[in-house]
Amino acid sequence: MTSPTDIGAALQQDGGEGGAVPEPFGLGSSPLRSDALPKALGIYPYAADLWAEGLLWGAVLRSPHPHARIRGIDTSAALALPGVHAVVTAADLPPGPDGLPDGAPAGPIIADRPVLAAGVVRHHGEPIAAVAADHPDTARLAVGLIAVDYEPLEAVTDPEQAFTAPALHPDGNLFRHLPLRTGDPDAVGEIVVEGLYQVGRQDPAPLGAEAGLAVPRPDGGVELHLSSTDPHGDRDRTAACLGLEPDRVRLVVTGVPGATTDREDLSFQVTLALLALRTGRPVKMTLTREESFHTHTSRHPALLRYRHHADAEGTLVKVEAQILLDGGAYADVSAEALAAATAFSVGPYVCPNVFVDAWAVRTNNPPAGRMRGEGALQACFAYESQMDQLAARVGVDPVEIRRRNAMSTGDPLPTGQAVTCPAPVKALLDAVAAEPLPALPVDDPDAEWLLPGGPGGAGDPSAVRRGIGYAVGMVHMLGAEGEDEVSTATVRVSGDHATVICAAVDAGQGFATLARQIVQTVLGVSEVYIAPADSDQSIAGPSARGRHTWVSGGAVERAALMVRHQLLQPIAANFGMSVELLQIADGKITSYDGVLGMPVAEALEGKELWATAQCRPHPTEPLDESGQGDAFVSISFCAMRAVVDVDIELGAVRVVEMAVAQDVGRALNPRQIEDRIEAGVAQGVGLALMEDLQTTGGLLGNPSLTGYRLPTSLDTPEVRIAALLEERDVVATFGAKAVSAVPAVVAPSAVAAAVRAATGLPVGRLPIRAEDAVTG
Amino acid sequence: MLPASLDEAVDALAAAPAAVPVAGATDLMEAVNAGRLRPAALVGLGRITELRGWRYEDGGTAVLGAGLTHARMDRPDFAALIPALADAARTAGPPQVRNVGTLGGNIVTAAPAGDTLPVLAALEATVTLARAGASREVPVSHLLTGLDPVRPGELLTWVRVPLLHAPQVFLKATGRSGPARATASVALVLDPARRAVRCAVGAVAPVPLRPLEAEAWVAGCIDWDGSREIDPAAGAAFGEYVAAACVPDNYGAEGAWEAVTEGPTAAAVRLRRTVSVLARRALGRALK
Ligand SMILES: Cc1cc2nc3c(=O)[nH]c(=O)nc-3n(C[C@H](O)[C@H](O)[C@H](O)COP(=O)(O)OP(=O)(O)OC[C@H]3O[C@@H](n4cnc5c(N)ncnc54)[C@H](O)[C@@H]3O)c2cc1C
Repeated sequence: MTSPTDIGAALQQDGGEGGAVPEPFGLGSSPLRSDALPKALGIYPYAADLWAEGLLWGAVLRSPHPHARIRGIDTSAALALPGVHAVVTAADLPPGPDGLPDGAPAGPIIADRPVLAAGVVRHHGEPIAAVAADHPDTARLAVGLIAVDYEPLEAVTDPEQAFTAPALHPDGNLFRHLPLRTGDPDAVGEIVVEGLYQVGRQDPAPLGAEAGLAVPRPDGGVELHLSSTDPHGDRDRTAACLGLEPDRVRLVVTGVPGATTDREDLSFQVTLALLALRTGRPVKMTLTREESFHTHTSRHPALLRYRHHADAEGTLVKVEAQILLDGGAYADVSAEALAAATAFSVGPYVCPNVFVDAWAVRTNNPPAGRMRGEGALQACFAYESQMDQLAARVGVDPVEIRRRNAMSTGDPLPTGQAVTCPAPVKALLDAVAAEPLPALPVDDPDAEWLLPGGPGGAGDPSAVRRGIGYAVGMVHMLGAEGEDEVSTATVRVSGDHATVICAAVDAGQGFATLARQIVQTVLGVSEVYIAPADSDQSIAGPSARGRHTWVSGGAVERAALMVRHQLLQPIAANFGMSVELLQIADGKITSYDGVLGMPVAEALEGKELWATAQCRPHPTEPLDESGQGDAFVSISFCAMRAVVDVDIELGAVRVVEMAVAQDVGRALNPRQIEDRIEAGVAQGVGLALMEDLQTTGGLLGNPSLTGYRLPTSLDTPEVRIAALLEERDVVATFGAKAVSAVPAVVAPSAVAAAVRAATGLPVGRLPIRAEDAVTG
Repeated sequence: MLPASLDEAVDALAAAPAAVPVAGATDLMEAVNAGRLRPAALVGLGRITELRGWRYEDGGTAVLGAGLTHARMDRPDFAALIPALADAARTAGPPQVRNVGTLGGNIVTAAPAGDTLPVLAALEATVTLARAGASREVPVSHLLTGLDPVRPGELLTWVRVPLLHAPQVFLKATGRSGPARATASVALVLDPARRAVRCAVGAVAPVPLRPLEAEAWVAGCIDWDGSREIDPAAGAAFGEYVAAACVPDNYGAEGAWEAVTEGPTAAAVRLRRTVSVLARRALGRALK
């Protein structure tokens, strides 16, 4: 617990006052994130707190139908309402190629999602029109006055029906079919285990709902203040939808509340910009919680059918799988999620013969998109459930079956790509298995046990069973299949401080803290400012797939090294020694023998030194028609052991503890890594036990934080870090691997395994509902 | 408007019939924020100290102020008086909400998952509804079923609860370990003076349900003069009796009017299992 005085002291320290305790410094130390305390104290400014003089309020009309033709829209009553300044529909966006309104479709890979629906709505909550008015109530009232003539159409909500259903979109219903074939199709094993696995719809449910401010510019452009996590991508797509040149749109990143996905949907920001351009006034829009559930993308619901062949010892012979991802109404990143699901369909195991067919399809369900370990997570649940079944059949314990099949560095993925990065799968498993187990209630009857169902709940000790389960999983880092990965950073030193300018958005992954640590280490200055990100800076790319540690961290390091060289070269010449013999620490430059020295500020002689650098990891290639290719830059691994208590009469589950061993390459900030692991575990436990955005016939059933249950502090288990394995990834920046996604990928499978162990039930579905954990 | 006494409050409501009373605002603000409610004026009840406590009346009755917060009802002195209400108050949301959310607000909101409601139903509580110059007494069940609703300009002032001096239990099933709405709840109170067991099931229907036959049956199984022990098989049978009485066969089916052709729906089977476990455990704890 931190006492109020601690917080005060830490805040002071954060303000640069220099408290009594020296701030942790450089790589390998654990400084606190600079936004941690303001967020905990409730004083952090979010995008919803933005204000501009004379602003108008935006509101959006959304479809009540999952699928309908729009026969007509009458906005006259809304426009006639006093206080309304503009009402926009698809007709106000640049027309499509045929000259007719098409809603200016956009998307991260395929541009198929209209900003405002044109002629047809394809999911519940799809935006149709928007209003700007002088009061938020007026705007919402006006939205209610827009009359839309719908012709409801049959909604396709079962992904298995999407193949044969009429096309829901001119692009058809199949986003991607990815076959993977390697080895001998006729190979058979002595033991065969089969399973059907299902994963529900998890929502990112960001605590800060979508909000933003658009300000028109005198040059006909627009400035957007948003919590974007991809300022340049969002700028370019917004400009394209509005028919503007990219330099007419400026995107200023503000108040990111912590994101595990892309932050804003494009429709939100384009609509906001359009309203500002229309009215010539600043426009602010804040979505309600319900709208927030409707607008951002969720995790892909999945159906996975698996058959594992193994020999009598449980060594894998062949894996066959069919994977179906429900992409919802629009393409988003479904193709990319499918590649991960397919490539990692066997998990971190060696198997010579693999035959997979994977599909991502369009339905009238809410669109699915990026969310920590998209694709990899769904596959992990299936292959780890299969490994548990296999262990039971062979009659060995679950850790042993995994050890027997674990991959090591150099082994191939089923895509033919050799895993050249460290793959310490066995070591991770051994680390979690070696951890001591938490006490059982019977061993400590005096302690107050938190039973499943919570304090004051209905839990009954006599009906509680404990279970222990293991899972190990993997996920790639950086963009896959030939995506150009690049980031740019500028480092400047003047006086006694340095500044980093980089458009990499710190969405909670801790990039700002890391950038500070890098510059501290390379340049020896303790004061490092991180400039706020905006799209006028050079491109850094989106905050996703754990890429910023590598690409933006790499760019910051290179820029800092260039500055260091500029700084040291004249001094080295002066001292008559090479640059390599000089070191910088505590704001001072010293020679290797400590004889010569000079403060950095003096060496600068009042100058400012600048350098800009880029980092671009080695290229990848798309998977071919049999799923083969070097599609990934690198992969990270994680093993977990879950301990759960299950009330087998009520089906209530409580995760008591998660032991985690993770392959981190190099721990650049151990505390931040542990925070990320805890976050991943919390999100994984949420998916395993309670987070499920329900739809009935395409209609969202629980778009609220009462209906959509997030794990509370009582639901998140004790996280025990068994090991942060530091085997450097030689091609990665600092040898470090991305840390955020893989814990979220593995945690649900570990919890499911533990519930299986406690109940003896098969557990083939996530989240595990109460009825799935009731025995007898 | 922030009246400091009950009289001022009813006068304020009489003067401004469109005004809406507000206590902890934990339900009211949610409705305002979602755009479902746009009150013309508010009458804040927070300053009426007399409504924030309780007193005793002859005949073994506690008269509870509508302004009692969940946090207050969870304290040991109150828990010793009406244990099941304290149990319910303890689980009615996170601490921030329970510190301000009130008994009166919980009753007037009348949400299906309102945690105090099955307790009040089992206790056969009555409420006082006051308006300028008049007040009336209504059974809480009449209020909840809409038989006798709160009328405009009326304030819920007091809740009358019999003091039974016997074990009582409230149990709630939810989807997580942290605070959450009930998926089903059971309140069970013993009334030794009348040799009765009273039970109400919450969250499975719009209002709490009383399984009267099951109550009467199980009361007959209890050795009231002795140890009050009960055969475990009878406890389990009671659970199933309660569940069958409170969860209809067509539970969860599209539209309740649909004819039931082939026994209970899967949803009904699941919910009955939960209710039956809760009722059995509640009885077990009450008789322990
Ligand atoms: C996060 C969260 C979690 C919650 N969890 C639970 C839970 O687990 N279980 C549960 O039961 N509830 C829960 N609630 C609901 C709520 O907290 C309770 O219903 C609470 O008892 C309401 O009391 P209040 O004083 O805040 O009511 P208010 O919001 O002030 O009022 C609610 C309604 O009652 C009327 N009203 C209030 N007092 C009077 C009066 N004396 N006379 C006439 N009318 C009156 C108001 O006009 C309004 O219509 C939760 C709420 C939140 C926000």
